[in-house]
Amino acid sequence: MTETTTPISQPHVEEPVSNVGQLSQLTLMRMRFSRNKLAMIGLVGLVIMYFLSFFGPFLAPNEYTNQNADYIFGIPTKFTFTGSDGKFGFYFHPVISELDSVSFKFIHKVDTSVTIPVKFFAKGDPITLLGFINTDIHLIGADAPYRIYPVGTDSIGRDILARSFVGGQISMTVGLLGVAMSLILGSILGTASGYWMGIADDIIQRAIEVIQSFPTIPLWAALAAALPPISQDFTVIHRYFLITVVLSFVGWTGLARQLRAKVMAYRSADFCQAAIAAGASDARIIFVHMLPNAASHIIVTAALAIPGMILGETSLSFLGLGITPPAVSWGSLLRDAQQVSVIVRAPWLLLPGGLVVMAVLFFSLVGDGIRDAVDPYSI
Amino acid sequence: MSQLAGDSTVVKADTVLRINNLHTYFYTDIGVSKALNGVSLDIPAGKVMGIVGESGCGKSVTALSCLRLLPKSARILKGDITLFRRTEKGFDPITLTDLHPMSVEMRKIRGEELAMIFQEPMTSLNPSYTVGDQISEAIILHQNVGKDEAKNRTIKILDQVGMANAEGIFARYPHELSGGMRQRAMIAMGLSCNPAVLFADEPTTALDVTTEAQILDLMRDLQAQLGMTIVFITHNLGVVAQMCDNVAVMYLGRIVEQAGIDSIFYKPQHPYTKALLNSIPHAGSRTRARLQPIRGVVPDPYSSIKGCAFHPRCNSFMAGKCDQAVPALTHVEEGHTVRCFLYSDKVEEE
Amino acid sequence: MFNYILRRLGYMAVTLIIVAILGYAIIELPPGSYVEVEIQRLRNLGGNLSQTEIDAMYHRYGLDKPVYERFFIWISGFVRGDFGEAFAYNMDVGDLIWGRLGLTLMFTVGALIFTWVVAITVGVYSATHRYTIPDYILTVLQFIGLSVPNFLLALLLMVFAQDVFKMQVGGLFSSEFEKAPWSFARVLDLLNHLWIPIIVIGASGTAWLSRVMRANLLDVLNMQYVQTARAKGLHENTVIWKHAFRNAIHPLIMVLGGSLPGLISGETIVALVLNLPTAGPLYFNALIAKDMYLAGTFLIFLAIALLIGNLLADILLAWVDPRIRYE
Repeated sequence: MTETTTPISQPHVEEPVSNVGQLSQLTLMRMRFSRNKLAMIGLVGLVIMYFLSFFGPFLAPNEYTNQNADYIFGIPTKFTFTGSDGKFGFYFHPVISELDSVSFKFIHKVDTSVTIPVKFFAKGDPITLLGFINTDIHLIGADAPYRIYPVGTDSIGRDILARSFVGGQISMTVGLLGVAMSLILGSILGTASGYWMGIADDIIQRAIEVIQSFPTIPLWAALAAALPPISQDFTVIHRYFLITVVLSFVGWTGLARQLRAKVMAYRSADFCQAAIAAGASDARIIFVHMLPNAASHIIVTAALAIPGMILGETSLSFLGLGITPPAVSWGSLLRDAQQVSVIVRAPWLLLPGGLVVMAVLFFSLVGDGIRDAVDPYSI
Repeated sequence: MSQLAGDSTVVKADTVLRINNLHTYFYTDIGVSKALNGVSLDIPAGKVMGIVGESGCGKSVTALSCLRLLPKSARILKGDITLFRRTEKGFDPITLTDLHPMSVEMRKIRGEELAMIFQEPMTSLNPSYTVGDQISEAIILHQNVGKDEAKNRTIKILDQVGMANAEGIFARYPHELSGGMRQRAMIAMGLSCNPAVLFADEPTTALDVTTEAQILDLMRDLQAQLGMTIVFITHNLGVVAQMCDNVAVMYLGRIVEQAGIDSIFYKPQHPYTKALLNSIPHAGSRTRARLQPIRGVVPDPYSSIKGCAFHPRCNSFMAGKCDQAVPALTHVEEGHTVRCFLYSDKVEEE
Repeated sequence: MFNYILRRLGYMAVTLIIVAILGYAIIELPPGSYVEVEIQRLRNLGGNLSQTEIDAMYHRYGLDKPVYERFFIWISGFVRGDFGEAFAYNMDVGDLIWGRLGLTLMFTVGALIFTWVVAITVGVYSATHRYTIPDYILTVLQFIGLSVPNFLLALLLMVFAQDVFKMQVGGLFSSEFEKAPWSFARVLDLLNHLWIPIIVIGASGTAWLSRVMRANLLDVLNMQYVQTARAKGLHENTVIWKHAFRNAIHPLIMVLGGSLPGLISGETIVALVLNLPTAGPLYFNALIAKDMYLAGTFLIFLAIALLIGNLLADILLAWVDPRIRYE
């Protein structure tokens, strides 16, 4: 409060100190986001899940393709904190596996009479971390011939935990990449459509209508079916990228529609009319006046599209049309759990399913958080 | 409350609605907003009572409190509202604040005894139903008549509010009508059950000046014709001069001055009323004279100001007095009260 | 209104033509036709095929003609109801698909009804009971419903039903009724097999739609006309169901068309897991076997079903919303 020259004595009033006016839009958004508890849970959850995916080979005690013919549908290792000498420590009970002569199935029994110590930073199967770190050290392990399987094994004795971690490398990036590609395609086509209108708009709108008139998963499946099988010329990496292309083939349409509406609204808005009247070029109007205004909208749409993409990849891979062996994703891992009898026998095969649910949930929470932070007035 | 509206036993013969020491607070995530801090007002029957004040002073909350239409975050903490219903034998007082907002009694009073017209004619009619449907709905509900009779009455009222082709309007959807027409429809809805008190919450603010004049004329005519009681809420002193018989000036949840229309305009007492009057242009005033805006802004309703709420903006501020206690209402002359230490040292007991 | 429908039908015809072209492109897309797959299979069996035999096979399936010619042969057959041959089944596609498409539509419509009834009830409840414990619980359930892939939900429900209730899940009939003649008990058995698929197919749609319904109703409840309705002295139920609900439902009908692809998608994949004789399993198997006429025909019919669904949704919207009707 500035002292005025009025002769009447001025009451002293504490002006409420607020720094709202001095914060940038971005800082405000970040503040609103970090105050949103659910969104923060989602963010922390995602960070943990990415860490598990990329450092999974080290965290899991076995290499994910390593087969153990003696341990088919092996049960989870039973850990204990008291050794045979009664001392506190990290131990586990070994499992005795026998082939049942009647059913020809392995019967696994925990042998609680024996305790074996869990070794930390133990030598085990050779692994590659992040594509370039070669090591054979695992966070936990045991001396041969014993092996630890924290959640059990699949039909040919592979470590489900390791496989689930590694599956995340594909499942948790495919959505991001697919959305990034949709974003590029959708931004270009949506902006063009809304800005120039006319024939370009007609064609793009018809194309969107056609694509959206197909049910998503069957269309994805049809496109994915057109991809060649994995071979020397067509590696896992190729397939991975083409699957993201397939996903974004449908994904761009929603974004383009929304962006078109925004751009059309901006076109008639005063600030764009002013720019047009001032003789600004199309490029300047689009990149300086329109896209920065639509940026928050684009980000929100993108964030909310990620869960759908993850679910799409999972469904495709589950059908055997997405990620195929030798690559693993959560969807392809769930292919092993198609029969009720298998699930009843080895429920741990559903672990990748749980991870899918968590990843999608966390992404949704973060997406909702971003939306609320960007536009606190929407519901 | 002191001498004025105070004694709840003494009721002036023509009072139709009495608001006594009303405290309505809003409880939100940010804090408690004290929207009404002891509002007392007697609304005389057959007159137009104006409530004036800047945005956020509690005008609308007062009306909504009477209709018990406050949002869920609001609570009436203290005070009461009494409606004196007209019967053959005289008054039949009923305390509205004792009723549950959703109770049968309260719903019966709403629409039948108390009606309200809102500020935004564009959004105050339901876009999915015809104008006629929406008006006759209230008639069917309160007057116990069939659909056909309700339609006849509705058309009659539509005619009364100056709608040419009332029958055609009956079947129209709101989006087919102009703002002025919609507000006429809203007035028709308000009048449909011949209520004891009609609250009009800034009914012309959203309209253009010509339409505003027409609507005000219409309301004035209808009031004279039907002898209705209207509580007219506005921030526009020009409208007050045109419409009202009595005026209550509100500031931050309190009535600071109340008087007949002439006294308010010619003998304003409270510094706030004076400031308000100085801030509007007068016909015939010196051309070079500048308008005097009121210093500062209405404080944030979540903050609490010690003493008279107006003191930070007041030109007659007396240190050590105005910022210490809230002045009580003082009778300055017949039918004219003011809440200011310039006229009396009496302090309002909290 | 009539003009509106006519105009929409015109748009739909254009879209249909492009859908057909795209559908055929998908049929032609996979490298290696069914014949190549078949030749490989025969070779693996040890037979040595001569060039003439191979040419004859190409000719038999019309694969020796250029693409555009094949398209016209196919499309002219399509409109006559001849959809080509399902190679793997040695049957006409037409004979294979109708019953299965019909069942797919039945499940989709069933799931749609389930979705709407539950979503609207839940949405209205949580909007009118905002920030209460049931609202929070429903919100959590909605988030989970949106996060669980429907095939996983199908698997879980199957295990649960079989393990806990000793119910036989999957298929349309229990084994004892599979071949039995129609009877009351058989109908009951059929109904008993319908509810799990319908819940599974509708789950994520229900979760999403009830969130939309909640948000819409909250928006509408803030509208002035709701206050007007209350000021008239109407009962709160009338205010909500007559005045607010009617307006909150408009955006829902607007997204009705958009929610159909998800339901059909969901049906196809859930049918695979639950072993239902609908379009889904046949379609995905056809894709894997590169039996492209069968797959393409299915895809086009699913698209047609969606287009009709969209049209119906738009007509419904025009019918409920007076503002659109008079445009």
